Amino acid sequence: MHELVREFRKGPRAVDGIDLAVGTGEIYGFLGPNGAGKSTTVLMLTTLLPPTAGRASVGGFDITRDSAKVRASIGAALQEAALDPILTGREHLMLQATLQGLPSRRRNERTRELLERVGLTEAADRRVGGYSGGMKRRLDLALALVHQPRILFLDEPTTGLDPQSRAALWEEVERLARDEGMTVFLTTQYLEEADALADRIGIIDRGRIVAEGTPARLKAEIGSPSVEVTPAQKDDIGRLGELLAGFGDSKRGSNGSVTVQLPGGEAALAEIVRVLDSNDLHVETLQLHQPSLDDVFLAKTGRKLEGAGTE
Amino acid sequence: MRRFSYVARGVAWRSIHNTVVNPAILVPSIVFPLFFLVAFAGGLSRISDIPRFDYKPGYTAFQFAFVFLQSAAFGGVFTGFAVARDFESGFARRLLLSSPNRSGIIAGYVLGALARWMIVGAVVTVAALAAGMNVEGDGIQLTGLLGLGLGMNFAAALWAIGLAMFLRTEQAGPLIQMPVFVALFLAPVYVPLSLLTGWVHAVSSVNPITAVIEAGRGLLAGSPVKVLLAFVLLGAAGTLFAAFARRGLASAERAG
Repeated sequence: MHELVREFRKGPRAVDGIDLAVGTGEIYGFLGPNGAGKSTTVLMLTTLLPPTAGRASVGGFDITRDSAKVRASIGAALQEAALDPILTGREHLMLQATLQGLPSRRRNERTRELLERVGLTEAADRRVGGYSGGMKRRLDLALALVHQPRILFLDEPTTGLDPQSRAALWEEVERLARDEGMTVFLTTQYLEEADALADRIGIIDRGRIVAEGTPARLKAEIGSPSVEVTPAQKDDIGRLGELLAGFGDSKRGSNGSVTVQLPGGEAALAEIVRVLDSNDLHVETLQLHQPSLDDVFLAKTGRKLEGAGTE
Repeated sequence: MRRFSYVARGVAWRSIHNTVVNPAILVPSIVFPLFFLVAFAGGLSRISDIPRFDYKPGYTAFQFAFVFLQSAAFGGVFTGFAVARDFESGFARRLLLSSPNRSGIIAGYVLGALARWMIVGAVVTVAALAAGMNVEGDGIQLTGLLGLGLGMNFAAALWAIGLAMFLRTEQAGPLIQMPVFVALFLAPVYVPLSLLTGWVHAVSSVNPITAVIEAGRGLLAGSPVKVLLAFVLLGAAGTLFAAFARRGLASAERAG
């Protein structure tokens, strides 16, 4: 993707010059608040929306010049699972297989296979109008996989799902990348989703990528982990402060704890435990805090990701 | 080309499937022409007593030819409603995303419209025959009448699909239907063209639908008139509206 831009008439630049590359077999998390430009980017990459400027290729094909080849090599489950309430789950899959040109016998096999994989075998012959939100999402994912695409786009796939369905979907996405070598481009506004699934993350805000890298690297970029220690005896707070000061900047919390930044990373944790033990200082709690992706978002945009949406 | 046919087949299958399993889609398509047939052929049958009304097979056949062609046109129009509904529900986006060849989507909707109209046309024909319609045309002439219906349905469907793709909202319904409705009813519906007078006669004389209806009535009566002209007009309309529908699709593609 190079300098990809999408401008809507009488509107702001929804996507404002994005550059990024996603490797084969990678799960790429595209993280940002509502209205940041995630879905617009996906619409362009899936050839549903032409870019105003810039260029991008998907699976080696230019999204503007070779849009039909792009569509043949991708699967996509978009934000709203647009399904026909009159068709059953099986009929949806058969329709999708027909559109993609699968031979008749293969259509039946693939439909059975996918219904089983997404746990919809029993509901296969029920009209989709009666499906729950989670079932629709699962069917949507199955539809995206019918023609065994090399690249899968998932636009906020777990929005509105219960925790169980969300976990099942995460597992399936991980399996697709791990076992089938599928490249997954996943947009989400959930920090834990990006953290749990993505090999690399791009953080988008107001149409621009503000940070990119592995979750660990992004977090490391903005700061070191910290340890918060609460002594068992309140009187030990002063001594605890003195001991921890040797590991980095420390400060006392209002809850009777001391927090120390670890510029050398969490490797210092073992040494802290040893020092506390050798000084016979009993602790009530000891917690390691890693910087979160929300901290990354805050550092890059000056705002917290939660509630930063503009829509 | 193979991708085009896969997509067309898939979209047509869905269209026909939904028509068959959902009475809410099929019933209005059948009820309207049946209502017209009963109301016009039954209620206005005394019109055939007017001097200079010289349509040999009688008034039921005279009205049947119109209703048959009108049902074909409205069948095409109803397809436009379905397309608009698909855009509003987001299903059209799924089709755009899943179709390697997007022109196949238009072809699929058209094939669906043709299949749906074949059901409606058959029902209307059976109803007219049951009402005692005289048929004086031979097999070839009746095939010609069927061809006119298919041409009418094809052109109307392309018009409706094109406009629905441009506007992408169910609110486009009246805009899709009105021109077809007006064009149909500004043709000689109740009496032959020769019995019309004034501005209605003037408009009907230049209305291309008039030639199609007169050709249909001629074929049904076994005395063909303006058949070539009717097919040329339908062919031209089909070509024009096919280009219009393709532009509508391009507009939908641009809008995402």
